[in-house]
Amino acid sequence: MRVDESRCTGCGECVMACPYSAMGYDAKGHHAVKCDLCVDRRAEGAQTTACASVCPTQAIRFGKREELLAEARAAGRAPRDQDHFLLGPATIYLERTTPQPVGAVAAVTPARAHPSTSRRPAFMDGVPAQTAVQAQSPAFPYRETRDDTAPDRVVPGGCNICFNCCTVKFHFKNNKLVKITGNDDDPLLKGRVCPKSQLTLQMYHSEHRLRYPQKRVGARGEGRFERISWDQALDEIAEKLKKIRDQYGAEALAMFVGTRTGILDYRTTTPMFAKLFGTPNKDGTDPFCASGKNVAFEITLGSIGSGNSYTENDLGSAQLYVYIGDNQAETRPVYFGMINDWRLKHGAKMVAVDPRLTATASKADRWLPIRPGTDMALALALAQHILANDLHDAQFCADWLLGFAEWRDFILQKNYTPEWAAPITGLAANDIRQLAEEIAAADGCVIFASRGINQHTNSTQTNRVLMFLSAITGNWGRRGGAYFNMSAGTPLAAKVPEHRAPKINKQRVRRSPAGWTEAMLHGKPYPIRALISCNNPMAQWPGQAKARAAFAALDLMVHIELFANETSAYADYLLPAASGIEKGEIGRSNDDRRVVWIDKMIDPPGEAKSDTWIWVELGKRLGFGDVLKEEYKDPAVFWDEVCIDTPSMKGCTQKRLHSVPHRWVRIPVPTEDAPEIETLYLEGTTVPTGAPGRRFPTKSGKLEFWTPELEAKFNTLGLSALPEFYSEREQLVDLPYMELLETDAEEGVISPFCSPATGSARGRIVAPGPDHPGAKLRAQGFDTELVTGRPPAAHFHSWTHYFWQSQEMWPDLYCQIHPEKAAQLGIRDGERVKVESAHGSIEAMAWVHAGIRPTAVFIPIGWGERQPYNPWRPVNFLTDKTQRDPVSDQTNLKVLLCRVSRVVV
Amino acid sequence: MPRRDLADSRLLQLTAAAVVLMAAWFALRGFLPEAWRTPGSPELYLTGVAGAALLLVPVAFVVAKRGGSGANPVNWFNAHVACSLAGMVLIAIHSGGFLRRPPALLLLALLALAALGIWARVRGSRRIAATFASKAPAFRVPDVATRERLRALISEKRSLLARLDPRATEGTFSVNLPHFIRSPRLALAYRRLAREETRLLGTRAAVPARQAWWRPLHMALAWLFVLGIVIHVVTVTFFAGYVADGGPITWWHLRAWGG
Repeated sequence: MRVDESRCTGCGECVMACPYSAMGYDAKGHHAVKCDLCVDRRAEGAQTTACASVCPTQAIRFGKREELLAEARAAGRAPRDQDHFLLGPATIYLERTTPQPVGAVAAVTPARAHPSTSRRPAFMDGVPAQTAVQAQSPAFPYRETRDDTAPDRVVPGGCNICFNCCTVKFHFKNNKLVKITGNDDDPLLKGRVCPKSQLTLQMYHSEHRLRYPQKRVGARGEGRFERISWDQALDEIAEKLKKIRDQYGAEALAMFVGTRTGILDYRTTTPMFAKLFGTPNKDGTDPFCASGKNVAFEITLGSIGSGNSYTENDLGSAQLYVYIGDNQAETRPVYFGMINDWRLKHGAKMVAVDPRLTATASKADRWLPIRPGTDMALALALAQHILANDLHDAQFCADWLLGFAEWRDFILQKNYTPEWAAPITGLAANDIRQLAEEIAAADGCVIFASRGINQHTNSTQTNRVLMFLSAITGNWGRRGGAYFNMSAGTPLAAKVPEHRAPKINKQRVRRSPAGWTEAMLHGKPYPIRALISCNNPMAQWPGQAKARAAFAALDLMVHIELFANETSAYADYLLPAASGIEKGEIGRSNDDRRVVWIDKMIDPPGEAKSDTWIWVELGKRLGFGDVLKEEYKDPAVFWDEVCIDTPSMKGCTQKRLHSVPHRWVRIPVPTEDAPEIETLYLEGTTVPTGAPGRRFPTKSGKLEFWTPELEAKFNTLGLSALPEFYSEREQLVDLPYMELLETDAEEGVISPFCSPATGSARGRIVAPGPDHPGAKLRAQGFDTELVTGRPPAAHFHSWTHYFWQSQEMWPDLYCQIHPEKAAQLGIRDGERVKVESAHGSIEAMAWVHAGIRPTAVFIPIGWGERQPYNPWRPVNFLTDKTQRDPVSDQTNLKVLLCRVSRVVV
Repeated sequence: MPRRDLADSRLLQLTAAAVVLMAAWFALRGFLPEAWRTPGSPELYLTGVAGAALLLVPVAFVVAKRGGSGANPVNWFNAHVACSLAGMVLIAIHSGGFLRRPPALLLLALLALAALGIWARVRGSRRIAATFASKAPAFRVPDVATRERLRALISEKRSLLARLDPRATEGTFSVNLPHFIRSPRLALAYRRLAREETRLLGTRAAVPARQAWWRPLHMALAWLFVLGIVIHVVTVTFFAGYVADGGPITWWHLRAWGG
């Protein structure tokens, strides 16, 4: 069935008439829209529809009805009776395959069945929000004809936005990018992509992109700039940097380099520039996202990331998948789709532990709605139950764990039982026991963790306990058994000849950039006077009020970005950057150890330049041209000559990357002809880049739980290497929490977990008492748990807020709130609410949703005040930069006390 | 065939122009010659006739759209908008500024028609767009009786359709003007069945009331306007004295023709 748009007057009657709401409507062009099952695409030879070809979860199939029904019957699947109206719909829906276990009914069913969860959130269709979207030009190639977008050239590459690293094909017509599709030549992803990959088309064609260098002419924050040349911008910046270096020392320059810049620049050009300049104060978003798990991996495994792969033979062979604080279905949708497919195929179980009924939890066999910030208690209790009942893999523990006995004795002595954990976590002791026994019994259990675990003051220790849990059950160094936490590291080289790197005289102020604000504001422990930011700290840094005051106090601020945002408004110089296929780079570091190469295929908009170009040119003006060489502006040259000069990357050459149609290589590959390794650390193997005989890349060759050296390191920071339970200080119940003994204005101690030398506050675990800060906040009416995190899959940080279609889908900042809480507060779905914490306040639109703990609200990250469609104050006005993990400097972003009220207009 | 969609911005510009023209006329009419303030004067009479003629275009649009033979319904739609707005301006002028008399209700109906149409096009269309994949009834199983009635209805429709339009398919068929002209009884019967089916499907109830009812309301107002026009023409022609309420009968056609 097709709509003849030339005859449609746009009355909308068909939209109303269709009981399945299968009729779409183009509100801009005023005509009906109907899926025609890609009749044109199939006429050109495609075997399937576009939706089925990219579906991250392979939930959509296309084919002849009878064949699909026969296939379903053969797989034991039952078609759902959905022809209630006897209209004979062609779409077949299959019944869910996994029956709800008895124990799960109480947790899952109410949320799914609640009326507020079964309808579309009102804020998505809010008239002001949608008006803002409709007022802007629609995204290219929206409303273009098929002929206009028929490609004459297709180039494989990858998506550079998120951690799924989807492989894609870029389609060009007359050298104009007209389409992005999944790469069906990829043997792993098989053409599946998440929405963002296709939406990057809107980044490459966005009218909001920065196009030329600008210099501030108004006050900081005002956002008034004048256009200048690249030469003027770089000359002036270089001169100002020299003056600051002369006056305050090289360490007065700070560099905040997020992964927006691309891994290539994040891990090579920017650290090289920092080393050449002589500043230790360079970091990225890791301390807000992942530094806790990175430290935990480094000290336990000796390498960042799991050694397993997203293959049916490896992760696909697990019997149990446990997601703890990881909404993989939204954050890495294609990977989740693969896991879910294998799980359904093999009858494996899936359990999700999360304060919210996330997209991931909604697919799981069980959802355990844990109290935010108490995952460590759950992990300790799981371990205790396994150890106390001898359910662990004793042989693996004896052979491959260093310090196992010390840790086991500690756990048993502390009596971290399921009964102990139950009131802390809000989960039933029986549920904890059941999960522990399932993990221990499974022939392959994969524990997935992510930001829900990382973004806490106990980040490192919780990650370690979960790693220990995997290890004692033998789920490490085997197929189908692993501890995963988002990305594995991509060990690129950023080498600077020793004689060219000036001696760094002072320690890095703090690992977390949020810890730099006292240095910016008050010159303590020493002054930071200049900041080069390649990201959007005005949305990302916790404690925005302090961050903004600090930025206003700088002598020089340079912002390298794709789009103008709040950070840009504070900059002295605003430099337009290129991205993805405009510059050539690799995809993000991802779970699967795949390095995805992206060629430079088009020129960036206007005068925008690649980040490497900018650093090389700035370096020239500071005398670094002999190291940051002119030829490195070509990313392929830079890659082969510099970046892969590490043991595990040497074989990942341009030649090898371009020898495969999917453009990726799974590392480590020490030589160009070294085979890719599906599963690292298998018994009987030696770590590819390590000393002979070592199974794991630690110094001992074993997984290290506890050693006297490690204990000494932790002691430096006031902690023990044997993880003791603590949570966050802002909780609805009084729990032990972390108190930092030094402020950011003090030097603290040199962290034993960082390189280069980095200042760190020491910490101490404070037991609940009469002066518990949480109790004080509760007395002030802060009676709700605030959880922050990633919005749905169409968004990623602030990038996608400049994408027309992402905005159309998810326009406004929202606050997920349980119906019971909303009713108590007189808040209706779609109403504007004010959310206040002890650190600030913001407003958002209420999304009344039963899939969240009744005591909690959830507000996503990514929105900002200067975004072109629907600007909102970012959620980091509610967060607190002082709540940090002393080990990794990771900030707690997952549980703060807040109060919510309806905004009376 | 290229589609010449009337963009929201153009629609709003046309509307603004109509509003400005009407406001200007009401503001300036005191300065105009007496004839422009005298009901039924040749100037106002002809203005009314011209306005009514323009307002026939929407009628023609309905015929073109529902008749199934219009070459380009989108152009007809655009013409219906442009002519309605122009006609509204002329009818406003035709009123002579006498807004407290019953005929002013016709102008009111026109204004309401225009406002509703503009709302639907500019704002309501977003709600229509948001309907996609959002109807909960699709996932609710109707009771046995409803399902049986639906089965019977579909069977009756197919049987009727075999006589009404043998080449048509029940799933995609809707009754249009030629069917009513050719076989009014069958067409009416079919439409009755289709309406009952719609009611049982619950499709109108599944969307917000403003989305479900704006169009029936728009059409009802249009019919009310047509009815009002007929009453107006009849009363001023055959009951002129009553309309003049004891005053002079100033309308030109009666005076000129010696009525």
